[in-house]
Amino acid sequence: MDIKLRELSDEELILEFQKNNTEDAFNILVQRYKNPLTNFVFRFMGDYETCNDVVQETMIKVYRYKDSYSSVAKFSTWIYTIAGNLARTEYRRQRRQNIFSINDYGEEHQTYDLPDESYRPDVITDSGIQDEIIQKALMKVKETYREAVILRDIQGLSYEEISEILGVNEGTVKSRINRGRAQLQELLKSIYKE
Amino acid sequence: MKNDEKKYEDVIKSLKGLQQVKAPENFEADLQRRINSEKYSKKERKIFWENIFRPSRLVPSLGLVTAVIVIFFVVDSNSENMENPFLIEPRIREDVVAVTDYDEFEAKQEELSKQKSLKKDQPVLEKRRDENKLKTSDDKMVTRREKSNESEGMLDHSKVEKDQGITTGAFSASVESTEINVTQSPKPSDAGGAASEIVTGQSITKEELNFRQIQLSEEEQKVVDQLRIQNQSLEETKKSQK
Repeated sequence: MDIKLRELSDEELILEFQKNNTEDAFNILVQRYKNPLTNFVFRFMGDYETCNDVVQETMIKVYRYKDSYSSVAKFSTWIYTIAGNLARTEYRRQRRQNIFSINDYGEEHQTYDLPDESYRPDVITDSGIQDEIIQKALMKVKETYREAVILRDIQGLSYEEISEILGVNEGTVKSRINRGRAQLQELLKSIYKE
Repeated sequence: MKNDEKKYEDVIKSLKGLQQVKAPENFEADLQRRINSEKYSKKERKIFWENIFRPSRLVPSLGLVTAVIVIFFVVDSNSENMENPFLIEPRIREDVVAVTDYDEFEAKQEELSKQKSLKKDQPVLEKRRDENKLKTSDDKMVTRREKSNESEGMLDHSKVEKDQGITTGAFSASVESTEINVTQSPKPSDAGGAASEIVTGQSITKEELNFRQIQLSEEEQKVVDQLRIQNQSLEETKKSQK
């Protein structure tokens, strides 16, 4: 792979891919964004398999619709917007399926989430388990708040970038983040008492 | 904003401390495979369309289409277009002659009628008489619908007769007299009453009946004159009484 390409910014790489159809430029972008996107989508959906599919689909969309990217926007916001839309669609589809399976099959097919009774604060010693508890708490936060909280506190994006990704103004982003955080604090208060 | 971050410090810290979830090792290989498979699927679609328009598939399908078209037209041409008999235009009379000298025309017509009507119109007259007899006996029992049906039959029959009259040239005097009776006799109790009722129900005009005037003999003329005089005298008396 060309060393010069590696030195290029995201925007320069996508322009290179647009103009000259340089597949190496696309591959570098994939290398740069595969992990952040996987992290974002996994935290939003809570399922690694579907998260992997969504990220792959995001990359395919970037590949197929490279010409729809305009150099006015940041590449990161563009790719996060695609991933967020796909994740949201998939998440809602799965949720509908779960409701359907509860109505149709009842307890035999345990495809729906039940409140986790096995958690006890005194057992929490491993950081992996704590991660799991936080992830479960995240999944209980309202969808719109969760997305904003993940983008801000896990992915570390600015309010401006988040407002661009979600398509809402910064004030709305801030309120969503605060509400998400409040919900999380309520859900994780047993941990913080320790 | 800083106050909010302080308020939720623990939450933010725990979220930031979450382990970074990484993509699987074969992510790029899988992605490349999916991209290639999409490209391949596009090519497959092209091949599919090409396959459809291959001559080996086009020829039988075209043959089938032509066969269907031919069958359609053959069946269509065989199908009889039933015309409404009421909408058919009447036959044009070809024997209509402009008469300037009525006496000469009358003489010729009489000669012709004597020759032809004796031969051809006799069975028609016999039939007509039989029908009149039958109708008078059954008249009271026949419903309106039956009457209308019969009248249709009568009309058809009269049409046939009319056509015959047109082709032969003229009716005999007796036939004319019966036809005149049919239109003019209003009494249902008469022998031809049923027929007259039916015919008048269809409102046949004199023109349609295709009759012509005849010259009366001297004796007949005298009787007619007497009747006229009587009629006039009756009318005058009525007027004077008023």
